[in-house]
Amino acid sequence: MASARNWNWFHRMGSPRWFYETTGRWLPWLWVLTISLVLTGLVWGLAFAPQDAKQGNSFRIIYLHVPASFLALAGYYLMAIAGAIGLIWKMKLSYMVMKSAAPIGAALTFIALFTGAVWGKPTWGTYWVWDARITSMLILLFLYLGVLALQYAFHSQEAGNKASAILALVGTVNIPIIYKSVDWWYTLHQSATIKLTSAPSMHPDMFQPLLVVIVAMYSFYGLALILYTRVEILQRERKAGWVRELARQAETQEPAK
Amino acid sequence: MTFQFESLQQMWDMAGHGPYVWTAILVSLFVMGWLLVRPLQQHSAILKTISQQLRQREQCQKEHQSANTSEEDK
Amino acid sequence: MIATSVGFSGYLKRDLLLAYRRRGEAASPLIFFLLVSTLIPLGVSPDSARLAELAPGIIWVMALLATLLSTESLFASDYQDGSLEQMLISPQLLALTVLGKVTAHWLVSGLPLTLVSPVIGIMLSLPGEGTVPMMASLALGTACLSLIGAVGAALTVSLRKGGLLLSVLVIPLYMPVIIFGSAAVQAAIDGLNWLGPLAILGAMLSGAIALCPLAIAGALRLVSNN
Repeated sequence: MASARNWNWFHRMGSPRWFYETTGRWLPWLWVLTISLVLTGLVWGLAFAPQDAKQGNSFRIIYLHVPASFLALAGYYLMAIAGAIGLIWKMKLSYMVMKSAAPIGAALTFIALFTGAVWGKPTWGTYWVWDARITSMLILLFLYLGVLALQYAFHSQEAGNKASAILALVGTVNIPIIYKSVDWWYTLHQSATIKLTSAPSMHPDMFQPLLVVIVAMYSFYGLALILYTRVEILQRERKAGWVRELARQAETQEPAK
Repeated sequence: MTFQFESLQQMWDMAGHGPYVWTAILVSLFVMGWLLVRPLQQHSAILKTISQQLRQREQCQKEHQSANTSEEDK
Repeated sequence: MIATSVGFSGYLKRDLLLAYRRRGEAASPLIFFLLVSTLIPLGVSPDSARLAELAPGIIWVMALLATLLSTESLFASDYQDGSLEQMLISPQLLALTVLGKVTAHWLVSGLPLTLVSPVIGIMLSLPGEGTVPMMASLALGTACLSLIGAVGAALTVSLRKGGLLLSVLVIPLYMPVIIFGSAAVQAAIDGLNWLGPLAILGAMLSGAIALCPLAIAGALRLVSNN
């Protein structure tokens, strides 16, 4: 009895319609939360956090660079776990989440790389260094692009889902190995002029806004993921009665121009 | 917590680091905004195509019915 | 027990026989390896000091590309003539059957590359101390590359333009192998202990032998269902 009730939520969660309707109720709050957190964190970090003693104002890029890198990596694991759930329990919704996570993750990895490069110019005098972390971030971008490319290469939606889930899982095993080996490779070639691992202990005045933007980025990620997944749901369930009803309602709310 | 710059102009300049900081911020925010706007556009586009298809089908059915009735009249 | 070993050795023998019958096709990665290595002195510099510096990395990059070249056709003919279907419904353990095929692929592509590499080493004026570590690292490393590449080949086998996609999928996963492979050679040239990176390559190979057949089998099942 108790176990039956425990699994109830799991099956309900597998229903795209349930997901669509529930997240529909969350969305307004999530929008408010995301926008206010991003604005607070960025204004705090850009205008009120004290300057870095060595890097001056250029360090303020950290307030987008670090959260984007965090979510780029965490997003890969989320994508792989969603893929694994899809493969094991054959849950349609899980594949939709996996498919939605790929473009978001790729975009965040791009942001992390771009902000890192722009930050590098005033700090080290060059846009690009073959540093361990930068290199593994670049490989992460390639992994995301691989998952995206594989997803769209198949004509059948289902084959694309399964294939990219397997690829994402293989990538998960590889990410720690890639990270470690790139790290090792870098220490072997290390040039003494550049040191990335600065600021082991950050001043609280700098750290607090960083915490805010990290939370903001998580909230942003959740919002983007939900929005993408809802599009996926509509696309795949377009023949279902409730989606048709939704389309009719949307039409009456917004009369044709 | 104090405002770190004497004026907004100085904040834009950031003691020479302005171009770097603001490019990074603006490009990132643009990409993030695009990540939110694109699904919204797709969402409404899908709903629109679905409702168009439904309307077309309804029209077809109506024509079919009226054709049937007119044949019956003869 | 008997059935599983039949799956492994049967497909190993079959694929070796097929490769022997299509000798020209099987030799093409090797020819590619040799041809590209003549491009390097022409493109970079014939100066032996500069070549010696670049040789470990270049040989490894070329070996990687040559393996990638032959990986695409790993399951292609089986898919086209329907023998893949038979492999899937046969009572043998699919992961072991697949391992037999990958072993055959390595014997045909990775092993010849390893055996030829000393010649390329001489052409690119690789210092003599590097020869043995290079062969050892290539032997272990190309086996890793065959296993990892087979995952990508299985995923893309049903696609018409699978080749380009395959390289996009697989090259990021190849990176640890090339790092430690070329590091072993470099370490030997610098007079350092090269057994360390080699041991890591061995560890990667054992991990790949354990995990890759499962992923390959999963990918092939998926392809057959669609």
